[in-house]
Amino acid sequence: MKNFRLTLALLLVCSMFLSACGSSGGSEGENGNAASGEKKKVTVFQFKTEIVDGLNELKVEFEKEYPDIQLDIQTVGGGADYGAALKTKFASNDAPDIFSNGGDAEMEMWLDHLEDLSDQPWVDDLLELTKEPMTKDGKVYGMPMNLEGWGYIYNKDLFEQAGITELPKTYSELEAAAKKLQEAGITAFANAYQEWWLLGTQGVNPAFAQQPDPNAFIQGLNEGTEKITGNEKFEEWARLLQLTLDYGNKNPLTTDYNTAISLLATEKAAMMQNGNWAQTEIDAINPDLNLGYLPMAMGDNAEENDKLNVGVPANLVINKNSDVKEEAKTFLNWLVTSDMGKEYIVQKFKFIPAVTTIDAKPEDMGDLGAAVWEYVQAEKVLGRQSAKFPDGAGQEFAGAIQAYLAGKSDTNKMLEDMQATWDNLKK
Amino acid sequence: MNNKRWAGLAQQTVYIGPALLFFAITIIIPFVMGMYYSFTDWNGVSGTVTWVGLDNFKRMFTNDDAFLTSFWFTTKFTIVGVILTNLVGFFLAYFLTKNIKMRNWLRTVFFMPNVIGGLLLGFIWQFIFIKGFATVGEATGIPFFQLPWLGDETTGFWGIIMVFVWQSSGYLMVIYIASITNVSKEVLEAAEIDGASRFQVLRSIIVPLIMPAVTVCLFLAISWSFKMFDLNLSLTKGGPYRSTESLAMNVYDEAFVKNRYGLGTAKSLVFFLVVAAITLVQVRLTKKREVEA
Repeated sequence: MKNFRLTLALLLVCSMFLSACGSSGGSEGENGNAASGEKKKVTVFQFKTEIVDGLNELKVEFEKEYPDIQLDIQTVGGGADYGAALKTKFASNDAPDIFSNGGDAEMEMWLDHLEDLSDQPWVDDLLELTKEPMTKDGKVYGMPMNLEGWGYIYNKDLFEQAGITELPKTYSELEAAAKKLQEAGITAFANAYQEWWLLGTQGVNPAFAQQPDPNAFIQGLNEGTEKITGNEKFEEWARLLQLTLDYGNKNPLTTDYNTAISLLATEKAAMMQNGNWAQTEIDAINPDLNLGYLPMAMGDNAEENDKLNVGVPANLVINKNSDVKEEAKTFLNWLVTSDMGKEYIVQKFKFIPAVTTIDAKPEDMGDLGAAVWEYVQAEKVLGRQSAKFPDGAGQEFAGAIQAYLAGKSDTNKMLEDMQATWDNLKK
Repeated sequence: MNNKRWAGLAQQTVYIGPALLFFAITIIIPFVMGMYYSFTDWNGVSGTVTWVGLDNFKRMFTNDDAFLTSFWFTTKFTIVGVILTNLVGFFLAYFLTKNIKMRNWLRTVFFMPNVIGGLLLGFIWQFIFIKGFATVGEATGIPFFQLPWLGDETTGFWGIIMVFVWQSSGYLMVIYIASITNVSKEVLEAAEIDGASRFQVLRSIIVPLIMPAVTVCLFLAISWSFKMFDLNLSLTKGGPYRSTESLAMNVYDEAFVKNRYGLGTAKSLVFFLVVAAITLVQVRLTKKREVEA
């Protein structure tokens, strides 16, 4: 018994030690503040975990140029967790000065706290497409961080191997291509259908964006004049989902994002629904892949289909009630106008810039980023619609879609579920 | 006399005051605030909070299938979870109070999962279920490992149960061990001399004498499994198609994903009342069965 207790005590001590390690990050930050004295501190709260290192280097450069401003960069990753953490910060009077916002419905929600940035010098340089999600009554409330584009990433070499010479631009052509791949012994699609966002916000996007007027359609949904059920675009989209399932990997519902990425990167699958953000992850496994984009083809109108989903994943906004508003604006402005800031945005963050004054070179952005950039330049884009959904609709959509993929419901039932979700969650 | 009373009061303030203060700040005040918010339509952010009376409560029972589904899931989970964790915990304790080699070492091993956080455990097990099981299944062809683990309702449910039992039974085992070692040797010896079989000793002597531990363990297991959130989040995130969404997760989802903070707090209030009622009844029932040696 004595021995048992001793081991137990040791274990407990170990666990306490571990948890102490976990929290040391926080106390470090506080020490930093104490030392800085009268410096003005600007807190940045954001969720892009992949750029944390770059941001921290950038912070050093910025503080060199502006010695009286100190940046405190805090990062909480993953969509929902970020939202909860941000709310907690506001509720506990620890509101950050700069934070990220998804735009549209999310902007409406936080509008009480947002500073009007319309008079900032960079506003005129924004790409038109990036302004819309953060604009309300003609005022601009946020700075788009970057552009992201998604569709089906495909492996050019595997396509060649399967003898696909013409790139599929319509549903039928895509189906034919998938068949050829299968005959060549290659899994056509790597489906990470465990991830709700891959289905519920990105996957569903073409069905919304290919409506004749997406904004009117969404407004119609809110007013009850439009329906998801029976909508032709949604039915075509359901067919596309079925296609990816039929020619996809085993157990798609337990396949997570990383697994699907490695299927694609190790050339076990030829296509995956994904965006240019995946470039660094794919490069980490296999930097020599020859990748390109295919649009998510619904229906047989080639022209309508030859478009990529493009949107602004996050915008930086300034807290209206912050004591250091001016300093926060200085930082945002510095970020997109100084040479150092520009360099970091394209080279370290690998962002597709949302500001026209930043030069984006294909070699900086990687294959995928460059391909998205081409689509943007040619204005062959489908706007990102998910920010206009009612809060939480993306997750619910994903549930309905997963039930469809698992064979628990059919097209009609899935669309009914999605319609019910919208009706239940709309304001 | 009066002086003495004052001294007593002062002493109580000094000793209990700080704890009470922290309890109030971290538990009581938020609880009361939560009660207030459950009657409003607050979204968690905006400055305007509108009083909506009982609308939230009406809505969750009449117009919220997901809430009722998650309620049912949690109930099923609690029933299976409570029975399994207690059975496993008890039998581990029963065998680890016998003279077995490496007894202490084994006790530590079984307790260990409890020291690791639930979230971490969940992610480790998610890997085991999805990658590990699939690989074993491919290599051996045993159907059990070839199931789509965590990929449908049934495997999702049992997956969470397995990890939950693995994690919590160690803790219950410690309580049972403490209680079993307290059963007096004389009684056991007497029973043995009278020719009682092992099973009879277990059923008629050990179990009645450790009823206080059963009360505690049932209480813990019920409240743990009702409130289970971390395993749920890390193993299945409520999926696939929201078939494994626990009540706690549904509440979180409502408040922080759908931004209906008022509705979320209303649900959590109902949740609290249900857990409180069930555990109170359980403690009363099992207390009655406690006996003196």
